[in-house]
Amino acid sequence: MGDTNDSKNVFQRVGAFLYQQVLLRIVHFFEFLGLKIYGLFKGLVLKFVYFFINIYKAFKEEPKAAFKGLSSFFLPGLGQVRNKQWYKAIPIFVVLLVFLVIEFATGSYMYALSGEIADFPAAAGEPFYFFRDYGGFFTKGIWGLVTLGELTLGDAYRGETIVIYDRIFTWKSADNSQVLLGEGVIAFSMLLMLGSVWYFSVKDAFRTHLDYVRTGQVEEYKVFIRRVWDEFFAYIIIIPAVILIVFFTLIPFLFSFLVAFTNWTGRVSLGEQLFKWDGFETFKLIVQSADWLKFFGDVLIWTIIYAFMSSVTVYVLGLIQALIIESKYVVFKKFFRVMLIIPWAIPALISLMLFRNVFADNAGLFNQLLSDAGWTDALREFLRELGLVGQASEGNILWLTGKENGLLAKSIIIIVNLWIGYPYFMMLITGVLGTIPASLYEAADIDGATDFQKFRFITFPWVLRATAPVIITTFTFNFNNFGAIYFLSGGGPGYPTDQIPESVRVLGAAPGQTDILISWIYKLTFQSTVNQYNLASVYSILIFIFIGLVAVYNLSKLKSFWEED
Amino acid sequence: MTVKEKFQRWLKRLTVKKVIIGTLVYGWLGLMIAIVFTPVLWMVSAAFTDATQLAQVPVIPKLSEWSLVNYKELFTEKSTSDQALSDYLRAFATTFMIAATNTVLVVALSSLVGFAFSRYRFKGKKKVLLSMMGLQMFPSFMGMLALFMFFRQFGLLNNPFALTLIYVAGAIPYNTFIVRGFMRNIPKSLDEAAAIDGATNLQVMMKIIIPLAVPIMGFIAVNAFMQPWLDYILPSVIMPQRDTVAIWLFRFMDPLGHEYDPIKFMSGALFLAVPIMLVQIYMQRYLIYGLTQGADKG
Repeated sequence: MGDTNDSKNVFQRVGAFLYQQVLLRIVHFFEFLGLKIYGLFKGLVLKFVYFFINIYKAFKEEPKAAFKGLSSFFLPGLGQVRNKQWYKAIPIFVVLLVFLVIEFATGSYMYALSGEIADFPAAAGEPFYFFRDYGGFFTKGIWGLVTLGELTLGDAYRGETIVIYDRIFTWKSADNSQVLLGEGVIAFSMLLMLGSVWYFSVKDAFRTHLDYVRTGQVEEYKVFIRRVWDEFFAYIIIIPAVILIVFFTLIPFLFSFLVAFTNWTGRVSLGEQLFKWDGFETFKLIVQSADWLKFFGDVLIWTIIYAFMSSVTVYVLGLIQALIIESKYVVFKKFFRVMLIIPWAIPALISLMLFRNVFADNAGLFNQLLSDAGWTDALREFLRELGLVGQASEGNILWLTGKENGLLAKSIIIIVNLWIGYPYFMMLITGVLGTIPASLYEAADIDGATDFQKFRFITFPWVLRATAPVIITTFTFNFNNFGAIYFLSGGGPGYPTDQIPESVRVLGAAPGQTDILISWIYKLTFQSTVNQYNLASVYSILIFIFIGLVAVYNLSKLKSFWEED
Repeated sequence: MTVKEKFQRWLKRLTVKKVIIGTLVYGWLGLMIAIVFTPVLWMVSAAFTDATQLAQVPVIPKLSEWSLVNYKELFTEKSTSDQALSDYLRAFATTFMIAATNTVLVVALSSLVGFAFSRYRFKGKKKVLLSMMGLQMFPSFMGMLALFMFFRQFGLLNNPFALTLIYVAGAIPYNTFIVRGFMRNIPKSLDEAAAIDGATNLQVMMKIIIPLAVPIMGFIAVNAFMQPWLDYILPSVIMPQRDTVAIWLFRFMDPLGHEYDPIKFMSGALFLAVPIMLVQIYMQRYLIYGLTQGADKG
């Protein structure tokens, strides 16, 4: 019974494949994760300990150099001056000066000095917020970051009632927690940059003296510039990009991250109320409350199913199309190729909005075609058999809006995604098919292989190996494919009202049945009736961790990525 | 051999199996083409009718009922009388400005960074690369709340240039990888030879590597130019009072909005989609090149 043996082999192979590809990978992943975290902590602790040991050693063994470092510690650049390296000291002084100028220009220290504090003293027992009233961008920023504001409209403070925003008499204005948080994050990030310059200054003062002891000379100006231009050329050319990324990506991410630890929601009316640091309360809420957990579970499962299905279906259809078009039965290959990549050429945003109309309730193309053909009832009955349409529905089929047709809407989303997405893989796989050496097929022909065997043992493994990384990329892309949900179904249909627990309903924060995590987060943040900023942030952090882990793991597996030549 | 003879030979070779498979294959392809084109034709049909209701739009465009009334409206309708262009063209011009700036900045910055990463070893390189890799996976709108606040604070709302900077910052990581991958395949012996002849780093970059990297920069440029046309979320938050094309489209698309007008949407969308489609199809091979670059990168 050669046949059964063969099929058994196939099953065994599939099993082994699954085991290797899926199970082992998961095990490796956690192994890797543990090692990474362990390594990270070990590294941090060791670094911290060694830092102090090195300082101690430096003072003991190289006291002169260490004292030069120390002078840079008290005033960055001073060590450089003592090393007679003005060309290094001046830029460092300039950086320091810029920070000081910003601080003093934005602060009102002059008012503080001119006796205003005495004129408007804080009443006995009343706290006095010096940095709030007179601090500049950095000190006030840090104050705001720590406290998130103290005074609201109508509070009495230093003999005045807090009313409106006023630039000169700062203390008279109410605190705005979100502005304070935002400016605090910016101030903090800029101070970090100052800190790294400072650190560099200390280290450099120390090192330069050591070099001086060893070689007997201090590096000359011209040599230094030349060396910087050569060695630091890489840094110089990446700096503009890095600054942009820091200000437009990293700092905003940091802000969103911090919001997760506050109690900021749309219900905190700023000006009259402040939001406060809240620790892990929001995290606790989503873990402990069964209501939130249910929605989070639903949304997460659907997100994963959606990401998985939409990656796999487009891959399979793309493969089928590529194989058919490239097969010997098709003439006019180029014609079919161009015709069938049309969905890829149409911008996805437009296709998605178009399909929203195609599946619209009454005037939609699909319902129009069905009712013209008189098939509406038959199709509805059929879908009802499948459990996609609820018992009560009558009339036109509500593809994307029927509250009891949640599954139907989900299927439609995957189908539309298939329409939009398959040409990408069709093109990719067509390209890969061209790279398979013809000699493989010739050898197979000599051995008398059937077409299916050729596909099974040559084409498919080859294609899969070449495109596997793209499948993973597609999966992570779809995991966050906001547009595919938002423009098509808008996350709808909503859950039937009786399925939404009271605690979620009062906030209006329930997801729709087709919402994936990212589109739910968008609703939580920007829908003006919801505005659960802290919840949205918590969910963002969860996504962040999930994707980050997958990405790091993926990368660490990719040798070519780290290969340096 | 005459056509007739060819046909006869072909007929001779025809077996039942071939006929069946051929029918299935062409049937399948025909079905796929029908599925692909029905919604597209419907859009075309809607754009060129004078119907006011979606339900009145025929699926297959009828040449006899051809009408340009939608486009006339699109190019003339102004919300305030003092503006030179119609609302739609104005949104178009804004988007064009954003797209052009975006292209220039993205190409310039990511080729610099890609060059640095493909040619130099420096401290922190791996960390920067890894964080860029990580960053590229997160949708930029996760920091959008903060961006909205900062922009409001510094008076940058409704400023197209500020919006462009967000796009640029978001696009650099991904494009850096593409450029880096391309430049790594340019032999290092070229730089070394130039360095021996006394070329500085800057000269090596500007005169040798960048000219060789023009194809990949073209690929990046096309992508960067396309992006703003189709982005809805960021502009809707950052430019609440100034339309880009995508915002304009969505306004007439949103069934919950009071301006819901699918016919208007379809005509505007078609006008936007056609040039983009032509570019995409024309640039196909370069885009496939990008895809395979992505495949290498994982």
